[in-house]
Amino acid sequence: MTRRAQRRLGVLLVLPVVALTVVFFLLPLANALVYSVVDFDGVSSNPPFVGLANFREMFADDEVWHALSNNAIWIVIGTVAPIAIGLLIALLLWGVERGSVLYRLCFFLPYVLPGIAIGIVWGWIYDPVQGLLNKTLAAVGLGSLARGWLGDPRWALYAVLVTAIWGATGFAVVIFISALRNVDVELVDASRIDGAAGPARLWYVILPQIMPVFLMVLTLTLVGGFSVFDIIFIMTGGGPADATNVIGTYSYTQAFQLSRIGYGTTLALLITVLSVPFAVALNRLQRKLSLQGTGA
Amino acid sequence: MATTTQALPVLPDLPPEPRGATVHRVSGRRRAGLALRHLLLIVMSVTTVIPVLLVVSTALKTDAEVKVDPFGLFTSFSMESIVRAWTEGQFSDYLLNSVLLAVPSTVLIIVVSTMAGYTFARLPFPGRTLLFYVVVLGLLVPFFTYMIPLYFQLRSMGLLDTLPGAVLVLTSTGTSFGTFFMRAFFSDLPEELEQAARIDGCSEWRIFTSVMLPLVSSGIGSLAVFTFISTWNNFLVPLLYLPGGGYRPLTTALYAFTGGRSIDIAPLAAGTLITILPIIVLFVVLQKQVTAGFISGAVKG
Repeated sequence: MTRRAQRRLGVLLVLPVVALTVVFFLLPLANALVYSVVDFDGVSSNPPFVGLANFREMFADDEVWHALSNNAIWIVIGTVAPIAIGLLIALLLWGVERGSVLYRLCFFLPYVLPGIAIGIVWGWIYDPVQGLLNKTLAAVGLGSLARGWLGDPRWALYAVLVTAIWGATGFAVVIFISALRNVDVELVDASRIDGAAGPARLWYVILPQIMPVFLMVLTLTLVGGFSVFDIIFIMTGGGPADATNVIGTYSYTQAFQLSRIGYGTTLALLITVLSVPFAVALNRLQRKLSLQGTGA
Repeated sequence: MATTTQALPVLPDLPPEPRGATVHRVSGRRRAGLALRHLLLIVMSVTTVIPVLLVVSTALKTDAEVKVDPFGLFTSFSMESIVRAWTEGQFSDYLLNSVLLAVPSTVLIIVVSTMAGYTFARLPFPGRTLLFYVVVLGLLVPFFTYMIPLYFQLRSMGLLDTLPGAVLVLTSTGTSFGTFFMRAFFSDLPEELEQAARIDGCSEWRIFTSVMLPLVSSGIGSLAVFTFISTWNNFLVPLLYLPGGGYRPLTTALYAFTGGRSIDIAPLAAGTLITILPIIVLFVVLQKQVTAGFISGAVKG
């Protein structure tokens, strides 16, 4: 009786999410697979089937490899930096009572701002003539380093990356603060009495205790790194001269600017295929560790 | 809840105390360490906030001041740019459009995710686990993978460039996380409550609405704030699926402003301020809820 009533209510309650998922996620995702084997220009109602031509083109396309290497740079630096800086800030904040709310507000603020606003203001900071960065460099006598950061192909990707790191670090700070609150302080004190230096204490005593949370932040940041699109699209659009192209922006250009929907979609599928195994593996590891921690 | 109540933990960057250090020296050392920590934190938090201050400062400049020095600090206080952006720049319309997108999406995401989260946590039926994974797959697949087919799909459904279309897409992109989040909250509730209510003759529906739902209100609150922020900030959905410009929200309105070679900084700064101000106010007022939501959503699942 109860079971049947539960099942009936369950099906009813889950219906909206299933409908939304099917119509606005699974269906377009399935269509993405279809688009990848046709030559669709967005207009013709019956695009010709081209088999694996889009995939063949993709593997032969030099810009794909360039974009992928930009993705790789982005994933590595864009994951390591927010986590490292976030952990450092969280450790500094650990046990600080006075002003801790204000500090946290400051550090977390960038995370709640819209990407477009972040892109605009960092565009001003990087402005070649009147930007804050070049002005500051000039003021401290490093004027020779000044340049048009977003217009210089060698620097543009890193300039956008710094902006992204600025926006993402707050998340790591907040999560690490909460994780540190559960760290056994007596254990840390004991290790200090035993003569463990700062880095050793961090590595052997603190990090193992926050490992599940650490892996969780790692997973989320990594997944975000694979799917980077907005901030690059907003700040440079993939330029100058494709210097900041990642698979996301390259796919967008192909699909919407060159009307090569089929090829653009194939490119977008590539990054998904690459990212999912990482996310699944990290999630498994995290789950295993967090279960160990709770003794379950 | 958000303030640390623990005793001062060890400073990670301090060397170990030498043997036989007196109590006085230890506390002096600690005080110096704490001061150093505050110094570092102040420098880092000021650096973090500078870009935000830059927006405020530029928005409050007079037009003439912007022409001379667009990105420096304001020297006189003027609402000129803000008033102009609001009236001539149509930012009042864009603000309304943002509200019309973010509020219905948030409400829908909350309702749909709460219902689904409850089911996935507590109502067994065949295929439940598989279905849950399919819903959560939405968290892993980057939006740009299916945004192009979705464009053509919405067009053929007659939903392209309509508010309901954009709201439905925003809702569906938000429910993956919402369901994941609410399921964690419902999973934590004790089974005894449910059984007691059942013995008292509660229907399954009553158990959900009158017994379980009130117990996760803090989770719903966190999800609401988080969802509102992310739908308010959403850029791609209105950019792609509201191409006509008639329902343009603040985010894509700002983007439209940045196009072209001669960018008018003053209204852009004012528009940026109008866009981020509601979010900043919401965030400052509800910061505990926001951060607690992030933590529980992230740590629980």
